[in-house]
Amino acid sequence: MRSLSLTFIIRKFVEALVTLFVIATLTFVALRALPGGPFDSEKALPPEIKANIETRYGLNDPMHVQYVRYISGLVRGDWGESYKYVGRSVSDIIAETLPVSMQLGFLSLLMALAVGVPLGVLAASRHNSWVDTTAMLVAISGVALPSFIVGPVLVMIFSFGIPFSFLHGFLPPALWESWEYMILPVVTLGIRPAAILARMTRGAVLEAIRQDYVRTARAKGVAERNVLFSHVLRNSLIPVLTITGPLVAGLLSGSFIIEVIFAVPGIGKHLVASVTNRDYPLVLGLTLLYSAMLVVANLVVDIMYSVVDPRIRVEK
Amino acid sequence: MVAKFVWSLGFALLVSSCTGKGSGTIELADGTSLKLDRSETLRVNITSEPPTLDWNKATDTTSSHIINNIMEGLVGYDIEDRELRLVPLLATEWVASEKARVWTFKIRPGIKWTDGVEFHAQQVLDSWRRLLAKETASEYAYFLFAIKNARAFNEGKVPWEQVGVSLAQPASGPSEIKVELEKSMGYFPHLLAHASTYPIRLDLIAKYGEKWTEAGNMVGLGPFQLKAWRHDKEVLLERSDAYFGSKPTIRFIHAQMIQEQATALNLFEAGKLDAVDGIPSTELKNAKKKKEFRSIGVLQSYYYGINTTKPPMNSPLVRRAIGQAIDRQKIVQVLAGGQTPMTGWVPSGMFGYSTDVGLEFNVEKAKADLLKAGYSEKKPLPKIEIQFNISEDHQRIAELVQSQLKENLGIIVELKSQEWKTFLSTLKTDPPTLFRFGWLADYPDPDNFMNLMTSYSDNNRTRWSDSRYDKLIEQAATETNLEVRRDLYRKAGKIMLEEAVPVIPLFSSTAHLFVADRVERFPVNALRRFEYKAVSLKN
Repeated sequence: MRSLSLTFIIRKFVEALVTLFVIATLTFVALRALPGGPFDSEKALPPEIKANIETRYGLNDPMHVQYVRYISGLVRGDWGESYKYVGRSVSDIIAETLPVSMQLGFLSLLMALAVGVPLGVLAASRHNSWVDTTAMLVAISGVALPSFIVGPVLVMIFSFGIPFSFLHGFLPPALWESWEYMILPVVTLGIRPAAILARMTRGAVLEAIRQDYVRTARAKGVAERNVLFSHVLRNSLIPVLTITGPLVAGLLSGSFIIEVIFAVPGIGKHLVASVTNRDYPLVLGLTLLYSAMLVVANLVVDIMYSVVDPRIRVEK
Repeated sequence: MVAKFVWSLGFALLVSSCTGKGSGTIELADGTSLKLDRSETLRVNITSEPPTLDWNKATDTTSSHIINNIMEGLVGYDIEDRELRLVPLLATEWVASEKARVWTFKIRPGIKWTDGVEFHAQQVLDSWRRLLAKETASEYAYFLFAIKNARAFNEGKVPWEQVGVSLAQPASGPSEIKVELEKSMGYFPHLLAHASTYPIRLDLIAKYGEKWTEAGNMVGLGPFQLKAWRHDKEVLLERSDAYFGSKPTIRFIHAQMIQEQATALNLFEAGKLDAVDGIPSTELKNAKKKKEFRSIGVLQSYYYGINTTKPPMNSPLVRRAIGQAIDRQKIVQVLAGGQTPMTGWVPSGMFGYSTDVGLEFNVEKAKADLLKAGYSEKKPLPKIEIQFNISEDHQRIAELVQSQLKENLGIIVELKSQEWKTFLSTLKTDPPTLFRFGWLADYPDPDNFMNLMTSYSDNNRTRWSDSRYDKLIEQAATETNLEVRRDLYRKAGKIMLEEAVPVIPLFSSTAHLFVADRVERFPVNALRRFEYKAVSLKN
């Protein structure tokens, strides 16, 4: 299995490279097709100054020359220099901001797993009871409520004590300093994936719980807790894992809204601002980074399938 | 096993979060950390990451916010003076000769940079040469295009030696910089208060390249020095002992980068910021009741431009009619942001501001002009379009104008909003019949506004030109007699705003801030220069 798994991984790796190349090309073309250039600003520039800037950044070269330069830079590991932030390379920006987003994302993922999976199991194990209804109501609310509502509401309650005045000043309303600053952004970011996981887990557990092997385990007198966690849960994790892949990529690559609401110095805001600024190298770098994370997360999920369910072999 | 790894990693992250530096502590470039004492630290918001602290290349207000505290130019502004009077800084005095075509600046002796190196006049010329050099590709190179041959040097047509600047070192006394301009310009010293013209240290740029602006590498001549710059998060400035002027009383300026206005307001409410610049218009009503509230009219205009070549707007009578059918007072009332309605082109608070220039709101006259243009109820004006960049405020203003034009002249107006860069591209390639735009003063001189509408200005997006207007603006720029100059601008204003009407000025803006009680002499000025050297803190 090991050698076959290696083949699988190599195949996936090559596929990933091709995918990333296609994404890099499409993003390059799409960016150039957008109206407005990186140096268009409120105060129009005299033509000779604009020409100097275009020469400096190679923007007056034919498109194919710019493309070849960009792709060869990528191959050499040079992602280029931001047009907006003078003297800062795209790699510098990623290195300075991605760890913060990853920290925020990882803590939110932990929260989502720690809350979502047990909540789903609990709801399924008390199927059609008030526990199930309440848990699912919470989960549906979590999915439905956008973070730009949840965040400010949490700030209102835990920072300004509205309407619970005893909570005034309990948590800081924003910034990214020590652990108490992280609670509100982590919870705001984690609520939605927790709710998604809870609903997925519930559905999967409900399906597994009706299987013959569960009935057999119960008939043999295995404790309900063991039935749930040793037999049912493990077999319910496949759909949960499927959704966790993109969730991980999404959470770790930063969230524009959360980072803006809580002034978290992560990469999320660059994803949006770089497009607005037409900062071509930064848009391309971040798109590739996000794509790579998504590809890797899906690859890891594929491998995890075989760990969770031995019936699945990655080579298939 | 994978699960164990994931949980261990999570735990490690959690631990690292819990053992973070904590509030009020900042990590410095050398790896050490510094605990900031609230009693000697002014905590402000600069909204976003400064694109650069290289003043030859910076073009934005965020970068200037930092640069203007760590550097100074030959001249500066007295920002506590309502007239924004020029004051000597690195130059002790300046004199104009040949009808303000030649300027001589005496350089202040005995000044040192923060690394102890002596400041000398050559560093000013180094900066100007770098600013103008083609290879620097500085967007603000045009700031010095008034200097003889500067534009040609920027285009690579003449060597630096032919540019009209020279350094003189008299046998006794301080060194002098002599500047020869292409033509007379009474306001030339204003340009030298702009950050792009501040002196520079080429030795540091040679040593560190683009990284010369990082904390630890950067030096300055201002009242503060760069102590830390954690990208996308914060900047820390510390009082400079090398500063030649009165030393600031505060020791640190801690500038955070908080993009969202509501978040900054929350932090101000929570006592974590001492000042917040920018209060959302929806919050203004409540904000005005607070004792921390401050506001000031800024040198910024908001106007509607007209593509004067597109029918039916190619008729000056139609443009006049529209200009007279807009009730600016009503717009300002609805916005409730303290804006000043304007019919002229120079904003209030600036020399040259005049209330008797431009078209007043007058529906009867508007109707008459429309009729003269050949439009009536039987032959209504074709549908026109207003375009603006996406923003809640622009949308509100456009809707007001739309309803006023419908109500007063029966004109059907369609609104169209576009993303900012797309909007700029539209204005460049095919300006719509009516479009919103604005202008924030680079320096407090009317030329900065009036020049925009000359036929050769790249910022004139209306496709209107009038040689009489160009001539008056050129004459006014070189005129040193203030009353004559005021009159020239008035005449030019009348040609543009009453005869031709390529633009319809609506109002000049007002800035709103919250400043904490403990802060004294916080800079609130029409140029929005945030210079903190005079600030003190009550504790």
